[in-house]
Amino acid sequence: MKISYNWLQKYFKEKLPDPEVVAQGIIFHSFEVEEIEKVGNDTVFEIKILPDRAHDCLCHFGIAKEISVIFGIKIKEEIVLEHSKNLPRSELEIKVNNSNCRRYMGRVMKGVKVEASPYWLSSAMISIGQKSINNIVDATNYVMYDLGNPIHAFDLDKLASPKIIIEKAKNNEKFILLDDKEVTLDETILTIRDEKDALAVAGVKGGKKAEINNNTKNIVIEVANFEPFSTRKAAKKLGIFTDSAKRFENEIPTELAPVVMDRITSLIQEVAGGEICEIIDIYDNKEEIRKLIFTEKYLKNMLGLEIPSGSINDILDRFGYEYVNEAGTYKITIPYLRLDISGPHDMVEEIGRIYGYDKVVPVLPKLDFEIKENKIWTDINNSRSYLKGLEYREVMNYAFSNKGEVEVMASASDKSFLRTNLTDGMRKSYELNKFNLPLLDCREIKIFEIGTIFLKDREEIHVAYGDKKEIKEMSLDKFIVEKVSQEFLQTKTLPLEIHRHSLGDQKPFKPWSVYPFISRDIAVWVPADEDKNKLKNILLEEGTELLVKEPYLFDSFSKDGKTSYAYRLVFQSYDKTLTDEEINPIMEKINLKISSLGWQVR
Amino acid sequence: MNEENQKGSLHPLTLATNEAVSILRDLGFEVALGPELEDDWHNFGALNFPDNHPARDMQDTFFIKNKEGMILRTHTSNTQIRYMENLVKSGGHPPFAIAVPGKVFRNESTDSGHEMQFYQIEGLMIGEDISIAHMKGVLLEFFKRFFVGENVDVRLRPSFFPFVEPGFEIDLKKGDKWFELLGAGMVHPNVLKNCGIDGEKYQGFAFGVGLDRLTMMKYKIPDIRVLYQGDLRLNQF
Repeated sequence: MKISYNWLQKYFKEKLPDPEVVAQGIIFHSFEVEEIEKVGNDTVFEIKILPDRAHDCLCHFGIAKEISVIFGIKIKEEIVLEHSKNLPRSELEIKVNNSNCRRYMGRVMKGVKVEASPYWLSSAMISIGQKSINNIVDATNYVMYDLGNPIHAFDLDKLASPKIIIEKAKNNEKFILLDDKEVTLDETILTIRDEKDALAVAGVKGGKKAEINNNTKNIVIEVANFEPFSTRKAAKKLGIFTDSAKRFENEIPTELAPVVMDRITSLIQEVAGGEICEIIDIYDNKEEIRKLIFTEKYLKNMLGLEIPSGSINDILDRFGYEYVNEAGTYKITIPYLRLDISGPHDMVEEIGRIYGYDKVVPVLPKLDFEIKENKIWTDINNSRSYLKGLEYREVMNYAFSNKGEVEVMASASDKSFLRTNLTDGMRKSYELNKFNLPLLDCREIKIFEIGTIFLKDREEIHVAYGDKKEIKEMSLDKFIVEKVSQEFLQTKTLPLEIHRHSLGDQKPFKPWSVYPFISRDIAVWVPADEDKNKLKNILLEEGTELLVKEPYLFDSFSKDGKTSYAYRLVFQSYDKTLTDEEINPIMEKINLKISSLGWQVR
Repeated sequence: MNEENQKGSLHPLTLATNEAVSILRDLGFEVALGPELEDDWHNFGALNFPDNHPARDMQDTFFIKNKEGMILRTHTSNTQIRYMENLVKSGGHPPFAIAVPGKVFRNESTDSGHEMQFYQIEGLMIGEDISIAHMKGVLLEFFKRFFVGENVDVRLRPSFFPFVEPGFEIDLKKGDKWFELLGAGMVHPNVLKNCGIDGEKYQGFAFGVGLDRLTMMKYKIPDIRVLYQGDLRLNQF
């Protein structure tokens, strides 16, 4: 989510460290910061909030709390509810008829003035990539991005009567969204309604009927809490993915609502005026206070690092945990905002990440465990070694195919079946490689693949190998029993051990050209006592940089004190298609050079 | 005849995989293998992914048509569960350490760094006192040996995967550059419990690293897609 540095600063009296420093702190103690961007006089962080912390950190307050803990700087003021006493009642009634609405807070504000947002509010919206709409809508969005709980505002005068009902939609009910799009609801989808129609898909998106516009005078503010799974299902079914749905599907703490209602009330009054009425709060199943216990010993055993009690206390204090520490046993009250914390393992992370994982010193473990051979792994490696010894070269092809017995749903590719054999892929591979034979330093293409194939009722590891005559394919078991000689299996004691190169020796991958190559063969009679590398060096030198690989010696024999060497030269450019007109002069020069030494080109 | 030139060869992924396995065996890990076509329980449920939870969106999953609850495994972590279930069934208990090489699948569009199929190697070590310090030790040693001759270091950043707590992203320093390379963490007590192992008595770590990525780093191959073309021009090593 986009988080504004200037917005965060509002939480602190002290000047925050520079944006870069703040980002580093967040990265190594809390979350991944994917991007840091200057926007006007602000800096905006793109912070990746994963599902475990989406309930409390998809908002500026959540990130401000993390910063407060990481850097040990205090957040300005504790939250005080300002608008709770001696307020007039309104005519609004609220009825919750479904338990997937865990809490519903509604408040009427009368005589608001809808207009453009003040500069600070519209620019705050724009800084985090949102549109500014009007003061009321911007205020509801601002408080959501500030505190995390989505808020909705309805035009009270557009309701059939001053009554809001939370219940399931009707089957095949047509509903027009705020953006004029029509969707069809059904009875699995929770809605906010008046006595006639749906006003909003609960937690997902509002409707046209009670939309706030410039003529709106009286509004209902909704701060609600909807059950995560049903909200997620509704959003998925309708294909509507809003910031509101994203927050509810990750679960919002129900205890957050009063704070959010208070904040939105203040903000609307600030930007749009109006008279504040009393809150109606439907909240039947209150969250219980949760506690956990962990010990210093457990922390040490998990981290492999001893953190002094003083530091543990300090970290818990910075988070604002209520706790007692009795001789290294901590009894903790879990803050209502921290739905992710349930047991001592969570405290390992909470304390470890703030103390610093960089302080954990690497230790190699000693485990009382005897390793056994894995038969399949051994078989796979023996098959590979065996085929390699028979001059086969290994290929890997895709597991996906355009036909088969097992089909995947909604593939990003056109091949939506899983392969039933390796042979089809091997055939294609053979054709490709046959064409490239001159590039491959071999006389004939011999390839193999070991991989999984998928039949209707099972998967199976197969071995396939072949050449121009045929491709043979069978199960790994069968291959080992019938094809690999016992002698080979017995002498192959350590099939997995391979020589390790140091990186200095590791030659890097050489990419290939996409342009066609031209290959030319040349056979030369050389005196038998001549250095056998001399001819090759001439070919390398005269072949120019268009020689894409070393000359390949494909034949040699001796007769009457002379040796014939037959080389294949392969020319290829990385920039263009070569023509005979470019290669012929090179071959002529090679011939001349050879003749000048008194050797004969055959 | 040129004896040098008529040779069999192995795919670079095989070379890198064998090397990774061989290092982990030296460090005390036993090879375990698991199925590629997997049920929801072993790929998600037992790994502490609640049903219908946003955490499942973190992995683009291939679902199988007309086979409810079957998917292509999105990680080699399914084999953690299968190994531990079998261990408990046969009357065994920790300590143990396994290394799981294998193919995994993600339903995402491909580019030079992403494929719908790729290989991972998973490490899982469980004992009575296996800690984050041990995880760091094993990974540092692994990379020292895998990229022998280069200066390497690892660092941990907090992250989240449902089957671990704490969870980490681990960066590898190679030369003077940091690479975001793998996910890891201390096995979540629910995962041990789901396999019938006492999570109060035993603890340990798990990590999963992309073998394609390691292969590409080791051999300086710029594009993951060349690995699955069946093209012998790749077998240069």
